[in-house]
Amino acid sequence: MAQNINPHYASSSNPAKQNEDTIKLKDNHAVSKRLQKELMELMRCADKGISAFPESENLFKWIGTINGPQETVYSGHKYKLSLEFPNSYPYAPPMVKFITPCFHPNVDTCGLICLDILKDKWTALYDVRTVLLSIQSLLAEPNTQSPLNQQASYLWPNQPAYKKYLDEFYSKHKDS
Amino acid sequence: MAQKIDDLKVYWNKITYAFPILNDAIFSDCSNTEYEEVQQLISGLGIEIKIRDLILVHIEKYLRQHVAPNFWAKFSKVDEEIKGFQLFKSAVTDLYEAVSSFSPILCRLTILNNNCNDNKPIYGEKDVILGFKQLVRATLLSQLPLNFHIIINHFYKVSFNVFDNEYENSEMAEDVMCSGCLNEYSDCNCAYIVKVFHDTNRKLMDLQLLERLTGQVLTNFIQMRIESHIQKICTGTFDISHIGFLENWLDTTLMTWLTRIYCAGSSKPPPDDKNIQNAISKFKQKLSYFLYHSYTKLRIDQLFNIIIEYPDSQPAIDDIKLCLDKTDLRPTLCKKLQNALETRLLHPGVNTPDILTAYISTIRALRHLDPSGVILEAVTKPVRNYLRNREDTVRSVVSSLTEEGAGSELAEELAKFAAEADGDNDKDDAWDEWNPDPVDADPKVDSNDRRASDIISMLVNVYGSKELFVNEYRTLLADRLLAQSVINTEKEIRYLELLKLRFGESQLHFCEVMLKDILDSKRINALIHQDKSIEELNKKFTSNAMILSAQFWPPFKDESLELPEEIKQHLEAYTKSFEALKGNRTLSWKPHLGNVNIEIEIGTKKLDLTVSPFNATLIMHFQNKPEWTIDELHQAMKVPVTILRRKITYWQSMGLITEKSTDFFVLVDSSDSKTNVQTSQVQDMICEDEETESVMTSAQDQREGELQVFWSYIVGMLTNLDSLPLDRIHQMLKMFALQTPGTECSIQELRQFLDTKVRTHQLVLQGGMYKLPKT
Repeated sequence: MAQNINPHYASSSNPAKQNEDTIKLKDNHAVSKRLQKELMELMRCADKGISAFPESENLFKWIGTINGPQETVYSGHKYKLSLEFPNSYPYAPPMVKFITPCFHPNVDTCGLICLDILKDKWTALYDVRTVLLSIQSLLAEPNTQSPLNQQASYLWPNQPAYKKYLDEFYSKHKDS
Repeated sequence: MAQKIDDLKVYWNKITYAFPILNDAIFSDCSNTEYEEVQQLISGLGIEIKIRDLILVHIEKYLRQHVAPNFWAKFSKVDEEIKGFQLFKSAVTDLYEAVSSFSPILCRLTILNNNCNDNKPIYGEKDVILGFKQLVRATLLSQLPLNFHIIINHFYKVSFNVFDNEYENSEMAEDVMCSGCLNEYSDCNCAYIVKVFHDTNRKLMDLQLLERLTGQVLTNFIQMRIESHIQKICTGTFDISHIGFLENWLDTTLMTWLTRIYCAGSSKPPPDDKNIQNAISKFKQKLSYFLYHSYTKLRIDQLFNIIIEYPDSQPAIDDIKLCLDKTDLRPTLCKKLQNALETRLLHPGVNTPDILTAYISTIRALRHLDPSGVILEAVTKPVRNYLRNREDTVRSVVSSLTEEGAGSELAEELAKFAAEADGDNDKDDAWDEWNPDPVDADPKVDSNDRRASDIISMLVNVYGSKELFVNEYRTLLADRLLAQSVINTEKEIRYLELLKLRFGESQLHFCEVMLKDILDSKRINALIHQDKSIEELNKKFTSNAMILSAQFWPPFKDESLELPEEIKQHLEAYTKSFEALKGNRTLSWKPHLGNVNIEIEIGTKKLDLTVSPFNATLIMHFQNKPEWTIDELHQAMKVPVTILRRKITYWQSMGLITEKSTDFFVLVDSSDSKTNVQTSQVQDMICEDEETESVMTSAQDQREGELQVFWSYIVGMLTNLDSLPLDRIHQMLKMFALQTPGTECSIQELRQFLDTKVRTHQLVLQGGMYKLPKT
């Protein structure tokens, strides 16, 4: 977790660690620049169905939006995600989480996502856009082999029932 | 016992004989020898202290009941000055007499007091005489009436008039009236007045009442005099320095008069009396401060006019500069000038060039006034803000930058800058002339920036970016280049070089290409005309093209115009020839730009004209067919009817075409052309304006395009963050979208932009928050 905190905003109590932080600070500029560029790219060629923007003045914390892919059970739903970039980005993957509750075999109840490119398959060639696109396609094609949500995984083969459950899940969610 | 009472009575009588004051009288015939007897008698009885105190009490009572009321009774409210003069004089004389009549009593009292040996102070003073004077002052002042200053004022006014007249008479000599005492010369009172005046002052001085009684009145009076004197000599003229003259006036006239008051008539203070010297020098300090203060105030009130007349008004500015160091009027100056600028300059009734001229002279004048630039910065802030809101500011600045001849101060300034740029190295030599910034300077701004910024950069800074200026210059240059058939490229290049010095090479690269285009066009034209196929066509008419690099020129207004077939063929041939000359490149014609020289022959009339392609096309259609309806013309030229109607007025004004019935136009025969000549001149004016219209898209349109870039950011923001208030959007844009230099967007501009989006239903504004509409 610690590495995901921008040293600008984290007050370090450990003097030994401070040294390490200052080293990170130097890189910080490069990371900001990369994120800035990604943002510009994202704004210029706006893909349908995905979008992201920094949450506040902090360039390291973004909010993303994914529309449920067309012709799937998720179509018509809209999902908000939070993206947190570590200081070692793009050499380490961003922390991506669903903010909107998502009923999906590979998403747990806290919104954590099981996706290989966000873990061991990450490379610096990925960026915000590709991450969001991957998550969008994950919605359409879940990996039922290693589920985080057993119920969803169990229900997935029966698409009409899954769809019915999903719609109820969200209409219930909207009420609360 | 009876004997003793009788004795006491005798003693009492003797004592009251020596001190009649005990019976509320003043005069007695008691001589010195007689008093010695009384003194012995008192000493014998051992009642010196008692008697002395008794006498003092009685003196006090007498003064309170008689002298003071008598004195103040004369201080009534009088309107006539001369009457006031007399009243005051008699009051002072009476008081003086009353006080002097006490002297025998005081003399005896002194002896008595000396015998008391108790060293008790008398009214705070050691001496009886001094104590008495103190008592007189205290008693008088304790009964001060409300309007006492009126007659004192009259008194000094009258005497000052006489004095002033003595000093400054001469040219008034033929007047029947003496300007001193306002009497006829035959019975001029001046000499009498002067005498009385000095006499009275001496008496007041004697009583030590001068300062107390008249000090305030005198100060007020003199201050009024100073003010009116300044008003009299300083209104309307700014080209003379007045401060030396005023100082001199203060020294000679006012101070001599004051010295005379304090020294009872002599014009020099007695060298041994330190008190008087002190009083006078203190007075002088006060008055000269007041003089500077009121002079500066007056000048500050006139500062706007002074600035407008700068540099003719430089002496006035010098005066203010001098006085500002001696007074604390800097804040007042800033505030007043700002107000004056706001009320007189910054309203819709003033033309932008006028505001600019005023702004420039403000910069010059204030630069002279305060080299540190602090005042300038404070004062011109509203001007800058205002100019920023005017649409034609940039255009005005740029056009005056490149204008030649009279009224183009900016062009001169530009040339001056170029000259100065070389000799900039001697900055370090002036280290010993360094001065700290004034206290009211903004510590955040580097003082060097303030000092160094010259007029042009201050104008450019109105917008905070060079880009806008360079863009506007580009548009103007494009306009100029296209409007002229013969272009003085040398002149343009010279200006471009000057501008480059200021704005930098990279910014003006586009303009350079534009000028090069013009030069190249000439050459290419010449080459193309050597082409055989063109030569054939040229027999009928020749055409010259200006070949512009689309990348570098500002966007043109798009106007459609279908040229006549004949011309089109010609241009196609031209294009072919160009393509042959320059491989891989072609021409895209802008038929609505340029000039056409035409020769028209109708009957006996022959006209040589240079017109726009539009008008040429129009009249060409009439060549083959003398009657057209507006719809037919619309078909032929592919131009909106409204524009056609507007443009055709040109030929109507020339008397070549008339509108026979609505929307039906006919070529005029030479026979009835005369009737139209009269109307032509009037309409000429109207047409003129249209021809000078800019062919470029306005800066505002370009700006809108720039703002469009932000739109995708705004959409991105609102998709992910739902709803945001205006200032957050602005802040976010500043953070993430405005990284590239030169793209700036004020919060007002953003609001306007967002409002247009709200109007077109691309945004929703709800409770101050912007939102994307639900799809």
